[in-house]
Amino acid sequence: MSESHAALAEQYDYDIIKKFSIMAIVWAVVGMAAGVYIASELTWPFLNFDIPYLTFGRFRPVHTGAVIFGFGGSALFATSYYVVQRTCQTRLWGGGLIPFTFWGWQAIIVLAAVSYVLGFSQGREYAEMEWPIDLLIEVVWVAYLAIFVGTLMKRKQPHIYVANWFYLGFILATALLHTFNNLAVPIGLFSMKSYSLFSGTQDAMVQWWYGHNAVGFFLTAAFLGMMYYFVPKHAGRPVYSYRLSIVHFWALSFMYMWVGTHHLHWTALPDWASTLGATFSIMLLLPSWGGMINGIMTLSGAWDKLRNDYVMRFLIVALSFYGMSTFEGPLMSLKDVNALSHYTDWTVGHVHSGALGWVAMISFGSLYHMVPDLWRTKMHSDRLVGVHFWLATIGVLLYITAMWISGISQGLMWRAFDDYGNLQYSFVESVAAMHPFYMMRAIGGVFFLTGMCVMAYNIYMTIRQGVRQADAATQTAAVAAA
Amino acid sequence: MADNVKNQGPQTTGHVWDGTLEEYNNPLPVWWTYAFYATIVFAIVYWLYYPSWPIGQHYLPGFGTVEYTNAEGKTESWHWNTRAKLLKETQDAAALQKPYYDKIMGLPFERISKDPQLYSFVQSAGKPLFADNCAACHQSGGGGKIGYYPNLTDDDWIYGGSYDKIQETITHGRHGYMPPFAEALAPEQVDDLANYVLSLSGNRADPAKAAKGDELFHSHTAACFYCHGTEAKGRQDIGSANLTDKIWRFADVSGAADTASKVAAVRQVIDGGLGGSVMPLWEGRLTPEQIKLLAVYVHELGGGK
Repeated sequence: MSESHAALAEQYDYDIIKKFSIMAIVWAVVGMAAGVYIASELTWPFLNFDIPYLTFGRFRPVHTGAVIFGFGGSALFATSYYVVQRTCQTRLWGGGLIPFTFWGWQAIIVLAAVSYVLGFSQGREYAEMEWPIDLLIEVVWVAYLAIFVGTLMKRKQPHIYVANWFYLGFILATALLHTFNNLAVPIGLFSMKSYSLFSGTQDAMVQWWYGHNAVGFFLTAAFLGMMYYFVPKHAGRPVYSYRLSIVHFWALSFMYMWVGTHHLHWTALPDWASTLGATFSIMLLLPSWGGMINGIMTLSGAWDKLRNDYVMRFLIVALSFYGMSTFEGPLMSLKDVNALSHYTDWTVGHVHSGALGWVAMISFGSLYHMVPDLWRTKMHSDRLVGVHFWLATIGVLLYITAMWISGISQGLMWRAFDDYGNLQYSFVESVAAMHPFYMMRAIGGVFFLTGMCVMAYNIYMTIRQGVRQADAATQTAAVAAA
Repeated sequence: MADNVKNQGPQTTGHVWDGTLEEYNNPLPVWWTYAFYATIVFAIVYWLYYPSWPIGQHYLPGFGTVEYTNAEGKTESWHWNTRAKLLKETQDAAALQKPYYDKIMGLPFERISKDPQLYSFVQSAGKPLFADNCAACHQSGGGGKIGYYPNLTDDDWIYGGSYDKIQETITHGRHGYMPPFAEALAPEQVDDLANYVLSLSGNRADPAKAAKGDELFHSHTAACFYCHGTEAKGRQDIGSANLTDKIWRFADVSGAADTASKVAAVRQVIDGGLGGSVMPLWEGRLTPEQIKLLAVYVHELGGGK
């Protein structure tokens, strides 16, 4: 047994995956705690304490940066390195570049968070990092691409497994998006400040081309890659349809690039551009669902696994939320629905049904599958995985229900006219009306964060147990050799 | 089981990864394919209705239209576009409001608030107008904030509480000013003045100091009476405060715990003066109709004269 482990350890580079897995958990706790804090600030503004570093405006990108790039990014690095090695049956290519991606990426998350708190932001959503950090991202990302492609090229398998297409698509698209969105001229070599190459409406369009494709490729395609490995692997069943995976991969990649303009309905953006964004969003619905169908149908014939396997439940519930939010998205992108939903909390709820329900849940499932394998042990407690599952599910449901009610109320209040043609409500009345739902959202966040802390504890205990077992095995081997 | 899969079930592609990963080669689900086609048809219909594909310097305008009224008052039709939609919605709302605003502009103030229908319109239009433009300073109910913004619900008016004066204040704004006395007077003199000012509204004060303050107030050294008047009742034409009532605009006397802190609060105003007491002008930002309506609305908040 221990010999085969040793052989495996040589066959694959697990060290880098372990590091990224641990940081994914750390950033999840940090980022979600920041999220709960800013949700509470919106509910109880005294929590600003008149300290600029803690205000919503500075803390909000700390939250989004830590969860998307810290948690999501580290989980993607970890799983992509795991999946690409195992499905190519080869060690990672890249030598020194491999640890560089780890330390570089972690430095980026820390530098970004510190700079936001100090007040540095280029004001581009999900890309608030100032130019020096952008350059560092560029370098790390190219190294990541080189490692991934290098590993694919020395594969011992004739075919490239579907999960790898999604990971590669994500890496390439993210490189493209990051580069063009951040084209800017620094005002000086020693200044953090820079000016974008784009201005006005064109700048808005570039920002949402980036923004929505960050959702499309970073938060969707990449996590579909995760899904395509861990769902069939954990279920022990073949992927439902190879053909569907090809069709929906290309359709998804093609359609996503067009839809950014649906964030700019009813603005200075030309109407024709917003129409195209809306229609490509509608045509994106079924390609998105292709991934959900392929994941859920993979389980057909093995539904009994859902009964007592919480890891499987995480994966399948993630796919259900994915299906729901990719239905909701195209709906919200229609001009008339958007007239109601734009600028309201409905958008915030939609993002979180994707981020908490899909991205976080699929990552939890994958990490629960992968971590015991990395440390050659079993989960410390399956029961705590179950506790996490329920805390997370209740948290998401509270969150999105609160935001649906609050968002639709806002939208309706803002557009309500009385019989005299006067606005029925002032803005501040809509703010007051949101208060109970903001409280509900914060409570939902607390549930989700608590679940995350349970996971962190469970993973910590699992790793400790794995390390101890490995030490014991080494000692036994040493005694036997003597 | 294995035989079943081989003979009747779907075939795998024959590739195996990582020991166990395989793929069935199931066809695309029929419902999926047709639903995908349906979204494409939907998109085409959408393209035909709304402005869509760009062609050269123009774009397909679409069959959808918006009717609105042009500058000459004629109804015009334009292809669907958000600017025309906005114009139309604004015009529709304005058309509903117009008869009431016309009446408001044609009637003297006193008659506006006596006409039940107009009064109801003033409340309907005034609420969002006040909340979106005035409440940021004067607070939601118009109660103001001592030290920052005047209270509009009491009957104490700095620049006058008649309809005309309120309309004037909203239209042109106000800029209150009181010079600082820290350099001109000795600290004891400021202390005396503060005690006198407090005594004017029946607050506890040192009688000896207040007597000296009285003298100073009416002297040409401090010259307080120039603006506040010999009776210290203030002058609404220049916006100087009435110091004899119990209403405090800047020094938070009513909120101070003891006499020492009351004196300190008044001293701070005398020492530093008041330079930044500005109400912005709304002419140009609100229409004359809206301003006249707001004058009625503010007058009705409680303390109009």
